[in-house]
Amino acid sequence: MKSTVRFSPGRVRVIAELTVLEAVRQRLFGALLALAAGMIAGALLLREFNFGSSELKFITDFGFGAVTLFGTILAVVTAAQLFFAELESRTALTLLAKPVLRSEFVLGKFAGVAAVLALFTAVTTGVLVAVLWMRESALREIAPEAFEQGRLVQYGSIAAFALLQWLKFAVVAALTLVVAGFAHTNLYSVVLSFLVVLICHLQYLAHESWQKAASGVARIAALLLAAVFPNFQMFNVGDRIAAGQPIDPAVLGGSAAYGGLYLAVFLVLAIHVFRRREI
Amino acid sequence: MIPETPLAVSIQGLTKDYLLSMRGFRVRAVDGLTLAVPDGKVFGLLGPNGSGKSTTIKVVLGLAEATSGSTAIFGVPSGEVRSRVDVGYLPENPNFHRFLTGRELVTFYARICGVTRARMRDRVDEVIEWVGLKDAATRRLSTYSKGMLQRIGLAQAVVHDPRLLILDEPTAGVDPVGSAEIGELILRLKAQGKTIVLSSHLLAQVEDLCDRVAILNRGRLVLEGGVDDLVTEKGRDALIVKGLTGPVADDLRAWLAARGVELAAIEKPRTTLDRIFREHVGARVDAREKEAGR
Repeated sequence: MKSTVRFSPGRVRVIAELTVLEAVRQRLFGALLALAAGMIAGALLLREFNFGSSELKFITDFGFGAVTLFGTILAVVTAAQLFFAELESRTALTLLAKPVLRSEFVLGKFAGVAAVLALFTAVTTGVLVAVLWMRESALREIAPEAFEQGRLVQYGSIAAFALLQWLKFAVVAALTLVVAGFAHTNLYSVVLSFLVVLICHLQYLAHESWQKAASGVARIAALLLAAVFPNFQMFNVGDRIAAGQPIDPAVLGGSAAYGGLYLAVFLVLAIHVFRRREI
Repeated sequence: MIPETPLAVSIQGLTKDYLLSMRGFRVRAVDGLTLAVPDGKVFGLLGPNGSGKSTTIKVVLGLAEATSGSTAIFGVPSGEVRSRVDVGYLPENPNFHRFLTGRELVTFYARICGVTRARMRDRVDEVIEWVGLKDAATRRLSTYSKGMLQRIGLAQAVVHDPRLLILDEPTAGVDPVGSAEIGELILRLKAQGKTIVLSSHLLAQVEDLCDRVAILNRGRLVLEGGVDDLVTEKGRDALIVKGLTGPVADDLRAWLAARGVELAAIEKPRTTLDRIFREHVGARVDAREKEAGR
């Protein structure tokens, strides 16, 4: 018999592949993808805005909003559902009775969900880019004077936005796996995860309180809140892009590192919590 | 008494409590259980619902933690992942990923268990054919019957050719014909020298398949021993004779009495209802399959 069973990226990949297959065969993924893509494409039908950059800004804003909203929903619901599906249908019993480490199971589930989120982000961003390109090309013919400096939309920055959003969705999926690790129902896991996501979106308020707090206790509480929950405003580069402002690569790199750090912490936590769970 | 052969599974003083509420209320599922499953034997784990069979299996497989006591597989503590390298497991009422086909499921578990790429295809085909699901291999599991799910479950359990198989109620919810087919597969595994731990409610089947049995009740071991030892009535012998009519029987009784032996009863040999059902229903199924094949 083998002296030990080492961590195997191969087993993580096999579990991730199964997770992707399960996710894409679910109706939820297709429905959210179609809804997001439909909303982005639907922005073309809105004609009450001025020609020129304001219309393109609206489409960009609208598109970013659709990607962020549906991506976040997909990250929470898919991570929780695919995790609980294994426990509730007791397929995890068969899988974990094999020589599979708990860490491989959690990372496999996460990698599968992250791949699904990457697919979602790529498709919806692709639709947004296509819509913006079509509309910008049409506007260039109608009002060429507005485009004397070339195209107004920064397509490279949209790709950077997509990358950061995907990273944010991955952080959301990882924190959902932490919650799912100790939660007893899928619903509880989804509701609590959405609450945490909300806190993360409003976390900049904790930062402000920490800076302004007079008393020591309030300062410590605000500091803890600011440290425990990631600040999702760090990923919010959409406003700058929509306003036509360039994205500083250093800011981009900093946000990616920030997201990567929280991702690693949440995954370690998810593995730790799941190791203690009885199947 | 524990036989002196290498142990496939050893359980020492296992107690397992489940926490019922945050206020500390607990229920004891297994209570001080000590068992030894010898290598190469078929071991039956019997008991009513809630007797602790499935919990014991979960602890042995490292899926649940013992409150006290210890368990090991081939000498490796259950908490270590390597204890499960040589184990195949079929859970009670298996519910596999229903969006997969039978072949996809078996391939998935073969990959998980490290079956080499070179052997993968042949091995997957081999075990699917072995469980008799060759024609249904490309169908999704959502279209499988209960018996077919149990058989594909058996295929995934043996795909990496493990030394030990733990089968939790492999015939639960399956009709007698399907149950007999699964019994045949278990007998074939036994012939290959596999160690099998079999949890079941079907006592007749356990009697046919197992070398040793342990009976649990309310988490405690109430009886353990070799099947032959347990089912053989000590101090009584049965003679199977033909044409034993009244006067002959009286003569025999008198002959035995003269030698100080009492004839306790004269009985007709009995078969089991399970066997009659299988003979009649199984024959019809065979005939129908042959007809369909024609």
